[in-house]
Amino acid sequence: MILRNVAIRHGRKALTAPIQRSYLRSLSTETESIGPSIDTHAQDTQSNEVGINQLHLTQSFVPPAKRTKKTKALATVARDYKLSKLIERKTAKLGSVVDRTYEPYDSLVNPPYPKDVTLELLMASQSHMGHSTSLWNPANQRYIYGIRQGIHIISLEVTAAHLRRAAKIVEGVAYHGGLILFVGNRPGHTECVTLAAQMAKGCHLFEKWIPGSITNGEQILGKCRIKAVGVHDEEIPGFEEKLEEWTSLKPDLVVCMNPLENYVLLHECGLNDIPTIAVIDTNADPTWVTYPIPANDDRYVLSEEIN
Amino acid sequence: MKAAWLPHHLRGSLRCSRPTRAFIAKPLKQRILLNASTKTFSTSSTSSAGIAAPEIKFPGSESRGGEGDYGDTIFYARLVPESPSYFTSQPTFTDDLLSLQTILRKYAALPVVKPGDAPRVAWQPLMTYRQAAGEAVKSAKYQKIIAILQRLNQIHHSVMPRAVKQALEKFKRDINPFVNAARPIKVDQFGRALGAGRRKTSTARAWVVEGTGEVLVNGKTLADTFGRIHDRESAVWALKATERLDKYNVWALVQGGGTTGQAEALTLAVAKALLAHEPALKPALRRGEPDTMHTYLNTLFNSSEGKKVLLLTHFLAGCITRDPRKVERKKPGHRKARKMPAWVKR
Repeated sequence: MILRNVAIRHGRKALTAPIQRSYLRSLSTETESIGPSIDTHAQDTQSNEVGINQLHLTQSFVPPAKRTKKTKALATVARDYKLSKLIERKTAKLGSVVDRTYEPYDSLVNPPYPKDVTLELLMASQSHMGHSTSLWNPANQRYIYGIRQGIHIISLEVTAAHLRRAAKIVEGVAYHGGLILFVGNRPGHTECVTLAAQMAKGCHLFEKWIPGSITNGEQILGKCRIKAVGVHDEEIPGFEEKLEEWTSLKPDLVVCMNPLENYVLLHECGLNDIPTIAVIDTNADPTWVTYPIPANDDRYVLSEEIN
Repeated sequence: MKAAWLPHHLRGSLRCSRPTRAFIAKPLKQRILLNASTKTFSTSSTSSAGIAAPEIKFPGSESRGGEGDYGDTIFYARLVPESPSYFTSQPTFTDDLLSLQTILRKYAALPVVKPGDAPRVAWQPLMTYRQAAGEAVKSAKYQKIIAILQRLNQIHHSVMPRAVKQALEKFKRDINPFVNAARPIKVDQFGRALGAGRRKTSTARAWVVEGTGEVLVNGKTLADTFGRIHDRESAVWALKATERLDKYNVWALVQGGGTTGQAEALTLAVAKALLAHEPALKPALRRGEPDTMHTYLNTLFNSSEGKKVLLLTHFLAGCITRDPRKVERKKPGHRKARKMPAWVKR
């Protein structure tokens, strides 16, 4: 049987070649499937590796790599992408000009100035919507305009006035080189808070506030690095000794987007004479912060505008 | 910063900064504090019952006459954090995460391959990152970074920008474990193949060469080495199962452990060496069960119970898999690995 196989595969050449030592064992006995107990398993898998006597010549045989559709497609990806970009550029200016397009990130990247904040804008960002009347904090009474559909409506004039005041304070503190901390723990606050911190050259916090960061700053923030800067925010050498012995920094102003989830932070600020600004909803306590902004804390469009 | 430099609308808001923070050349001169403005705003409130700090006390809007007093006040320097993520207490990690998110947002529209087709990369393990950053970053948080890296890695290599490549390089592991390939066992010039095997604490080295079926273990024959027939069979099970006992010679060195351990170690060693001669036997050797199977079947057919038809769907590995079992350690509170002292009610 084995000799026949050799002939089929390699014809005359194999027969004329001297039989090598490795073929000796293949000539002596035929192999069968292993043991009666494994028969059923072998039948299931339909394998006959046991029966095959692989010749060394066939072992080294490697079929040439076929150029399949998949490999062909991958090779032209870069070319097709460049072409599509080129077409996009060429055709972008064709067709009608849409004047007032809405981009969701617009209020993030280009937030309105305090003078551009109108009551219509505040209403459009749903800042007048308070919570259910049964969940209100009576200290907010002065900010509420009325009730509609079971919720309190915050007076937009009050919101605008407080927002403008808060903006002025942020501007003043930033002008004097104070350190402003923007805090927003909810999932949608990350971008607003980081961009606001970038614009004000302050700090951001979009994860949980670690309790004791101000009162126990030496332990918690001791390893975070600080530097000495001058009037124009350029780094000044020569303060290395001071930097080494300095334990931690405290913010000069804290702007919080969700005070209800940040009581510990606001309490610590109160203990350390750090003024705070926060968006106070109808169920929040306005005495928690120095400068409340009565508005809806559940809408992210508003938070972008506030920042 | 002189008061004269300030714009008008901010002059009233000059605040005595805490001396600990700002380094002032000369101390502030005594000023006569003018009365604060008596204007009332719609935003002013007098409630001070809460936890909030008091409002910023401005010196008064009519303090513009005191310009000269502020002329000597110059701020040399102020202390600021190096990173805007200072108050997160993990600034390095937060900055890394933010920068990766920015990069992803920028290059989100580039063509992407399927997750399985992306090049396989070993990312920095958490411990290494912790040491590099010097912060105790939680695993769940680090996985966020890994998720972004994997998404960036899917960008097609022909259009991947340099910034992305640099960002990925920073988080790649020093070594690439996927490049490591196992060294195959070769048959040398004399026709010998060396296979090594281990079981419990025994190690065996077996040289398998084509021959007539002689087996020597530590210079002795199989019968001399192993008193148990079972051990003798399992030592050369790889050859026995494939019916090649008369085709190969085995010369083995075994040390460590006891008789059965040495015999099982030999099983693996001989199997590996045999595969060097005949690689096609691998599935056959894998399915063959040296120990559990034939002892189980013996008990089954020899038992006094009636014939049972069993469908054996699960097969343990045969001669190819290294048996990982070892002696379990003794634990405190137990007499041995599992045995516990007798339970006493009181």
